[in-house]
Amino acid sequence: MAKIGLSNISHSYNPNDPNPVYALNPFSMTWENGNRYAILGPSGCGKTTMLNIVSGLVRPSVGRILFDDKDVTDLKTEDRNIAQVFQFPVIYNTMTVYENLAFPLKCRDFSKSKTDERVNSVAETLNLKSFLNSPARKLTADQKQLISLGRGLVREDVAAVLMDEPLTVIDPDLKFRLRRNLKEINEQYKTTLVYVTHDQNEAMTFADNIIVMSEGEVVQTGSPKELFERPNTTFVGYFIGSPAMNLFESEASSNDSVKINNTLIKTHTNLSNLKTKKIKLGIRSEFIKIAQNQNENLVDVNVEKVEDLGNYKLITAKLGDFTIKSKVTRETEIPSSKVKLHIPADRCCVYEDNKLI
Amino acid sequence: MNKLYIFLKYFFIVVWTVFVVAPFLWALTTSFKDFQSVNGGVTYIPWVDFEPNLEGWKVLIKSPAKGGVDIIEPYFNSLFVTCTASLISIILGTLSAYALSRYTFKAGFVKNNDITFFFISQRIMPPIVLSIPFFLFLSSINLLDSLTGLIVVYIVLLMPIAVWIMVDFFNKVPREIDETALIDGCNPYQAFLKVVLPNSIPGLIVAGMFCIIFGWIDFFFAFILTFTEVQLLPVKIVALNSSVTPWWSLSASALVSVAPLIIVAFIVERYLSKGNLSGAIK
Repeated sequence: MAKIGLSNISHSYNPNDPNPVYALNPFSMTWENGNRYAILGPSGCGKTTMLNIVSGLVRPSVGRILFDDKDVTDLKTEDRNIAQVFQFPVIYNTMTVYENLAFPLKCRDFSKSKTDERVNSVAETLNLKSFLNSPARKLTADQKQLISLGRGLVREDVAAVLMDEPLTVIDPDLKFRLRRNLKEINEQYKTTLVYVTHDQNEAMTFADNIIVMSEGEVVQTGSPKELFERPNTTFVGYFIGSPAMNLFESEASSNDSVKINNTLIKTHTNLSNLKTKKIKLGIRSEFIKIAQNQNENLVDVNVEKVEDLGNYKLITAKLGDFTIKSKVTRETEIPSSKVKLHIPADRCCVYEDNKLI
Repeated sequence: MNKLYIFLKYFFIVVWTVFVVAPFLWALTTSFKDFQSVNGGVTYIPWVDFEPNLEGWKVLIKSPAKGGVDIIEPYFNSLFVTCTASLISIILGTLSAYALSRYTFKAGFVKNNDITFFFISQRIMPPIVLSIPFFLFLSSINLLDSLTGLIVVYIVLLMPIAVWIMVDFFNKVPREIDETALIDGCNPYQAFLKVVLPNSIPGLIVAGMFCIIFGWIDFFFAFILTFTEVQLLPVKIVALNSSVTPWWSLSASALVSVAPLIIVAFIVERYLSKGNLSGAIK
C-alpha cells in the first residue's frame, strides 16, 4: 500500500513526431493510501493511458510517478507491486482457477500455506470456491473476469489495484454485488482502488473521489457531491448527472444576476470581474422545482412533456428558446401547460469560457 | 432430401477414403510380391492371386555387398537430422516470432512486417537458387557430406515456417496476457515462458508438424549436399532404382518412410480431437 503521486505527467504516443499528439495533457495529483478513486470520462479521453502509466506498462513522455515519495518512473512493471484488471477477462488458459489466483503469489515466492489462505479467502469473496480445481478456460466470461479480479485482490500488500472498466462483461446483478464487495475489501484491507469507467453511476456509487477526464485533460477531481453540485466546467455538468445539467447561454446584468429570456436570475456568484458579459448559467434539474411561495428567481415556462420515470417525474419545458428540465417527485401535480419554476440562487453555477466562476 | 443428403455424404466419404487408402493398400500388397507377381498381370489378394514373400523387405536391411541397400543408417540419419533441425528451428523461430509480434523494430524503411516477410521469402525462392550458395557455404566450412551441415541447411529452410506460423499465432494471443503476467510479478522472460508459451502450445504443435514434414520429405538438398559419408533416407530410396524397377522394395521403403509421419499425424489428431488445438488453425 502506498501513496501514489503523479507529478506533472503528460504522455504522447508519438513524441518524436514534429507535431506530437498528446493522449494526456500535463496534470499532477496524489492518490492517498486506502482511498477509492474513479477515473471517469468518455472513450478515448486518456483514462487507460493514465492507468498504464501508473502500472508501468507505459512510460510517461514527461513527469514523475512517486510511490510514497519514491520515484518509480523508471521502475519496471513487475517491480512496482501493482495489480491491474483489464476490461476483458485475461486468464491463464492452461492453468486451473486455483493456479490462476495463486500466480501473483507464486511469482513473489509466497509460502504454500499463505498462498492457500489468500486464494481461499479471495475465492470465497468472489464466489469461485467451487471452481478452484476447474480449468480456468472452461468458465463463463463473467467468471473469468472474476478470476482476473481475484488475481488483482490476492496480494494484500499491493500499492494499488487498478481496474480498467472491469465489470463490463459482468451481468448487472452480480455487478452491483461486486461493487459492494470491492468497497468492503477497500474498507477491510485499506487497499487503494482505482476504477476506470465511463459509467457515471458506477463511478458515483463506488468511489469517494472521482477524476473526470476529457480529451486527455483532467477537468475536475472531487467527491461525487462536489462534482454533482459544483461542476468545474460545463463538460462536467453535462457529463455527470442524468439528465445533464441545464445550461443557458446568457449575459450578466449586474454583479450577481444574469438575464435569461428577460427574467432576472439572482446567483450567489460575484460577476463583477467578468472579461466579457457572455456567460453560461448552469442549474441541475434536481434543484428546479415548481414555485410555491417564493417571490424571486421565478421563470414562466411552457410545459412540453412530463415523463413518469418510476420514482420521479421529469418535466421538459420551454423557456423562450431554451429547453429546461426539472425533476420533481411523482406526487407533484403539474397544474397546466404554463407553470412557474423556481431556480434557487444558491444552486446556480455561472460559467465563463465554460469554466466555473 | 434428407436421405439424399446422407447418401451423398457417405458416398463422398467412401470415395475419399478409397482415394486415400488405395495407394497404401497397393504399396502394402506390392511390397510382398516378387518379379513374377508384379509383371504377370494385375493381382490383389495374397495367397490367392499371388504367393507373398519378404524379398522386397529384406533388400532394405541387407548390406550392399549382399545385393541390398541397407536403409537403416540413412533412416536414423534422416530421423536425427529432421528432429534436430525441427527442434532448433522451432526454438529459434518461436523466439523470433515472439519478438516480431511484441516489439517494434525499425531500421530505415524496414519494419516488423518486412522482417516477417523476409523470413517467408526464403521459402518463396525456388530451391535450385539456394543450392549453389549452400554448396559453396558448406564447402567453405568443411561441412559438406556431414550431418551437421545438413542440420544447418535444414534450419535455414525450416525456421521460416516456424516464424511464419508462430508470428500469426502470437499475434492472436492478446497482449494483455503478457501485461498481466508482468503486473503479477514475472519478468519479461518468465512472462514468455510461464504464460505466453503454454498458451501457444497448439501453435507450437502445428509449427513442429510442418517442420517435421518438410524436413523429412526433402530430397533435393539431401541429394546435392551429401555424397558417400552421409546419406538420408529419400536419397537412399532413389538409389534402389535400377534398370528393372524393383516395385516390391520401393513399395516397402515407401511404407517405411511414411511411417513416422503417420505416427506424428495420429498424435496430432488425438490432440486435435481433445479440443486442445481449437483456434490453432483458422
